[in-house]
Amino acid sequence: MKHVFVFDQDKCSACSACMMGCMDQNDIDLAAGDQCFRKTYDNEIALADGSTYCAYISAACMHCTDAPCIAACPVGCLSKDPETGFTVYDNTNCIGCKSCAMACPFGAPRYRASDGKMVKCDGCNERVKNGLKPACVCACSFGALTCVTEEEYKASGSNKACSALIDQLGLKKK
Amino acid sequence: MNKIAIVGFGGAGYNAAKEARSVDPEAIIDVYSDTNIGPYNPMLTTYYVKGAIPYEALFPFGPLEEIAKELNLHFHGNQPVTGLEPSEKALIFADGSRKQYDNILISTGASAVMPPIPGLDLPGVFKMRTAADAVALKKMLEAGKVGSCLVIGASWVGIKVVEDMVAYRVPCTLVDGAKWMFYVAAFEKTAKRAQQDLEAKGVPVYCEQMLDHIEREENGQLTAVMQNGRRFSADTVAVCIGVRMNVGFLKGSGIEMNRGVLVDKTMRTNYEGIYAAGDCCEALDIQSGTHRNIGVWFNANKQGQVAGANMAGRHMEFDANVLVNLAHYLDYDFISIGDISACKPEDEVYEYEDHKYYIRAVKNSEGIKCINMIGSAGSNGVVKNAFIKAIESKHAGLDIKTICFLREKGFPDSFIDYLGGTSID
Repeated sequence: MKHVFVFDQDKCSACSACMMGCMDQNDIDLAAGDQCFRKTYDNEIALADGSTYCAYISAACMHCTDAPCIAACPVGCLSKDPETGFTVYDNTNCIGCKSCAMACPFGAPRYRASDGKMVKCDGCNERVKNGLKPACVCACSFGALTCVTEEEYKASGSNKACSALIDQLGLKKK
Repeated sequence: MNKIAIVGFGGAGYNAAKEARSVDPEAIIDVYSDTNIGPYNPMLTTYYVKGAIPYEALFPFGPLEEIAKELNLHFHGNQPVTGLEPSEKALIFADGSRKQYDNILISTGASAVMPPIPGLDLPGVFKMRTAADAVALKKMLEAGKVGSCLVIGASWVGIKVVEDMVAYRVPCTLVDGAKWMFYVAAFEKTAKRAQQDLEAKGVPVYCEQMLDHIEREENGQLTAVMQNGRRFSADTVAVCIGVRMNVGFLKGSGIEMNRGVLVDKTMRTNYEGIYAAGDCCEALDIQSGTHRNIGVWFNANKQGQVAGANMAGRHMEFDANVLVNLAHYLDYDFISIGDISACKPEDEVYEYEDHKYYIRAVKNSEGIKCINMIGSAGSNGVVKNAFIKAIESKHAGLDIKTICFLREKGFPDSFIDYLGGTSID
């Protein structure tokens, strides 16, 4: 059953609780130079009409249906979990070449300097497989970030909200 | 029943077989290879040499026997195809026999160039492309038989051989015939910086050195003698001066070629039912609108997938092909995005440098032509995507997330402006 992350930026305040949840779940050691898989952005962006747009965004791997990082990895570390649809990885043979980062249009793969390997958001695959929500979703107090099955997503009519987000982010619709 | 032949079994061939099988479970898929080993990734050879991965990891899709069984392939190892009759969709073999198919994929890859220069056949002179090349070099290095190495060719492979030598603490010198390193992708200023940084790591670099011949000294060392008379001596010499596409067997067949086989977006050649993918083909480059070989692993895999789908009857296209060169070596990252040869002296140059990044880019009124970046590995995909989007839709600008991402990564607003602007509609 494929899962999708749904982000409603109208509910997001960029409080970064999702980042904290991610760091806790994945033992991200910022002091050692690790980078969190999920990032929040609180940015003022100038609009063409002269006004300012306050962008509150929470972003991590988009778990693309046809994920380019999978084809780009020279050692075959990345794959799709057939059960959850998340883009997962086994970095045992990762050579740290950063080809996945070059393929990803969202900058999702992170290089972990401590062992020279790439890591990324796997959608909290094991949690989801065991009926739990991803850590970032659990941490979001405002309901801005949710994770639902594709069926739930379609039934909820969220595809309209998602389309709006895709339009706003300037992403290509498939 | 659809009869498919795949000639050459690397990343492109494997992905074609996989996709064709998923679309058409009944198809007969014959695979021809001039070796008897499974699909491996040439890019991994130097990583195997320095011990970053075990031998099995050279084969990212698993053992050949398992692949053949899982995908129900008829694998014909050590059976090179010597000719093609495209109008008949027939393959010709060394013994003169021929076999007809409904669809044929040419995925024969490329080989390391070893030009007919005297001395290149001397023991101790080696190339780096195949799994066998990697095994031989690793054996030599582990035996402690290499006291010094001369790497000829500041290519993407050459720089990785340098990295291997540094990993084994073997003194190494890098020479190149071009005016500066990474000549086909780097601006002069970028290259000089990369050279300086490499030399700071203990690797001397000499450019504008064209090889004349290699000779054996009385003390057993090899000496590469340059056309300008300069001599470089070492225990071993790595020749890494580029690759040649394996398309010789197609000469005179009627298949349209430049250096490689020309294909459209479906990876089809000028003949119906004949496809090509991977390092042996030239697909459409969206920046120049012409055919180009962009020999990266991602392209080989995707092109193979596209060809496999189309051979099995499901329409698929390969798109967004732009020139990209990525070099990651000795904890150093350099990327070039776009066509450096399209840059003109009158074009607008952008240059930026801080403790983290070096960026140099060129554009004119038509858009960005080429971007060089050092130290930006984690953001390369985002910048490449912005570059592609600017080609596809000239006035699209950047999206909010890209702006936020680049700012958070420490890129200056001047570069974000250069890419498409910090201001959105």
